[in-house]
Amino acid sequence: MGTVTRRTFLKTSTRLAAVLGLGSSMIPQIAEAVEQLYSGNAPLIWLEGQGCTGCSVSLLNTDFPSIAQVLTQRVSLKFHSTVSAATGEVAVKTIHECVAKGGHFLAIEGSIPVGMPEACVIAEKPFTQVVLESARTAQAVIAVGTCASFGGIPAAENNPTQATSVSAFLASQGVKVPVINLPGCPCHPDWLIGTIVHVLKFGIPALDEKSRPKAFYGKLIHDQCPRFADYEREKFAKSFSDDGCMFHLGCMGTQTHADCTMRMWNCGTNSCLHSGSICIGCAWEGFTAKQSFPIYRKLELQTTDHTS
Amino acid sequence: MATSVKISPVTRIEGHLAIELKVESNQVMQAFSIGEMFRGLEVLLKGRDPLDAHQIVQRICGVCPVSHGTASIYAQDQAYHVTIPTNGRLLRNLILAANFIQSHILHFYHLTALDYVDVTAITGYQGSDPELQSVREWVQNEFKAGVVAPAAPFLPRYEGKYLDNAELNIQAIKHYLEALEMRKLAHQMCAIFAGKMPHPASLIPGGVTQKPTAQKIAAYAGMLQRLQMFIDHVYLPDVVEVAKAFKDYFKIGKGYDNFLSYGVFPESGNNEGHVLPAGTIVNGKPGAFDAAAITEDVKYSRFASVSGAHPSQGDTVADPHKANAYSWIKAPRYQKQPMEVGPLARMLVAYHQGHGECKTLIDGALQQIGVTPAELNSVMGRHAARAIECKIIADHCGHWLDQLAPDQATYNEFDIPASGSGIGLTEAPRGALGHWITLDNHKIESYQCIVPTTWNCSPRDDRGIESPVEKALEGTPIANEENPIEAARVVRSFDPCIACAVH
Repeated sequence: MGTVTRRTFLKTSTRLAAVLGLGSSMIPQIAEAVEQLYSGNAPLIWLEGQGCTGCSVSLLNTDFPSIAQVLTQRVSLKFHSTVSAATGEVAVKTIHECVAKGGHFLAIEGSIPVGMPEACVIAEKPFTQVVLESARTAQAVIAVGTCASFGGIPAAENNPTQATSVSAFLASQGVKVPVINLPGCPCHPDWLIGTIVHVLKFGIPALDEKSRPKAFYGKLIHDQCPRFADYEREKFAKSFSDDGCMFHLGCMGTQTHADCTMRMWNCGTNSCLHSGSICIGCAWEGFTAKQSFPIYRKLELQTTDHTS
Repeated sequence: MATSVKISPVTRIEGHLAIELKVESNQVMQAFSIGEMFRGLEVLLKGRDPLDAHQIVQRICGVCPVSHGTASIYAQDQAYHVTIPTNGRLLRNLILAANFIQSHILHFYHLTALDYVDVTAITGYQGSDPELQSVREWVQNEFKAGVVAPAAPFLPRYEGKYLDNAELNIQAIKHYLEALEMRKLAHQMCAIFAGKMPHPASLIPGGVTQKPTAQKIAAYAGMLQRLQMFIDHVYLPDVVEVAKAFKDYFKIGKGYDNFLSYGVFPESGNNEGHVLPAGTIVNGKPGAFDAAAITEDVKYSRFASVSGAHPSQGDTVADPHKANAYSWIKAPRYQKQPMEVGPLARMLVAYHQGHGECKTLIDGALQQIGVTPAELNSVMGRHAARAIECKIIADHCGHWLDQLAPDQATYNEFDIPASGSGIGLTEAPRGALGHWITLDNHKIESYQCIVPTTWNCSPRDDRGIESPVEKALEGTPIANEENPIEAARVVRSFDPCIACAVH
């Protein structure tokens, strides 16, 4: 195994056990999973639909293992539009060969424009068709981010392209392949890498009724909020510069399941709530879905003030 | 007789782009830039709460969300008549700057370098660097094991003339890996004040929600220092090396002599007195920028909406089957002219206005490489301008950090009026970015965006005039039509972002 030794895997695995929220008894099995990941046994194809590449950029921000390790120490990222050297016909052939062989993991970023297939095309083929072909032979499909998981912003009210989620699209086409949803705008890199490792070694992780891994989405943001005590004391912020619970400003921590405030973003640097922002509910299935449910509730506060 | 050559999909850019070329006698005669994705964010913003705007539009792009968030809060500041505190302006600059640095490093090393650097050089590596040894063994094992697409995502690739200096190739591979950590560090630096990246949390009309504590200022300063070391001692020298090795690319990829910058990094007010100035160059002549001279054509774009309107009067109505339309990108024009935007445009506009740092750095680089100022309008000129700009921006961050007042306000309260309008003009790493918002009955009546890659990679306009990238591709030599690497290099020099361009 060259310079990547068993010892390296064990070290990696101890830390991954923490990322995954698993006990230390699982470390040897995680080590095997990481080894498998590194040895090319689990080809990963990453396709982007109606997305913004934010989830891909977020993956590049992985703290541990570093993205250099992920890319160069034998993870088999066979195709990724933003990273791959392969261009044009060379790229199309690479995807085709991997899909024909089958047994790959398919990561999909972005939603799928079922009502307007022309609204997303890769090499003259509608994305709807590309997804169908590459999902049929896949071991599992990972819907990366809120657009792929729930439709997200492209599927917001008015939805001009009839954008939809990966699971809804595959179900409508009768494709039976496990789909794991990793919502979040973007998806946190730990959620993605943790999920891939889990799928490899332990199979599909325990999922909730929305197909999200419970390890990452088991708790409400509200219950892990740095301002939870303010809520309990009914100390509420009325302005974006106030201290206090931001529920009245529109905070969606009470509806959103994720572990951002504990896991933090960008290698433990910060989080939305820690930066004085509300939780906008980016991992929530109703994120931006209805016009009547705005992200901030300032206008409501303002109107109330004006009429009182 | 011309043959048709397609690059579809163009990878190592953001999003869904195809390029169609008409090639005759190994030379591109005509080029067509085809944006292949559409979400309709402008459409779904209509009727929403105005404060939804900056959160939704920053998700136009995961590579430059800060620029979209910034353009939107500038437009909203104006519509709500709110003046932000000095801390707010400084924090917005620091957040935006960190993402420029991230984006420029990403572009050169991870999106561009594989077009020039020969990654297969790693198989001959004899040195003792454990990281490089590990990469070498991985590549060797992949080929030995006979897996599908060995050494993906670094291979396969277009065949062509790559860098043939083994030492430089190995050094570039090492720097590719180092740059992965550096761009991540730039995002960490950004998140100190942004909350998270991509998609910052703390940007808000009226200012920024994150308060600048002494600890946060120190953390930013520490990361900045490491990034400045990398930019000065790795990024800039690498660009010079690649530029020297591929000097012919100062003669390839020349666009129009039209450049546009809205100006970025304000030193006063909400968005005034920019470090990188606003301005234009039309047919080689510098001039002042006039926001009223912008229009968008849609004759060859898949939209049924009105053509030739100013963005404040524009609309977005999808028509996927429109006859003769070949792209989801609209065609913005300035005084009816196609304009190139981006680091080269910003640097040339600043250079012509006598910007001190810009002049010194550009003249120095030109001398070092041995090319003339006129040759900046080229593939390599774009890469050089991007690297120089990265240094200028990083060097300014220290000044903004020094001015932050930890105990002072970062945000001023505002009310949202029932009606009004605002314009948010700024720059994204890829070029000039404008957002136009109109409110009615406390809701968004209209929201239009003109995005850098909309300028650079549009289809032809109503008069049939090519976009900057289509123009730059004309005349490009194509040695092998099966492997049109030269054209791919021209396209990537613009750093296209299609999710942005189509939105």
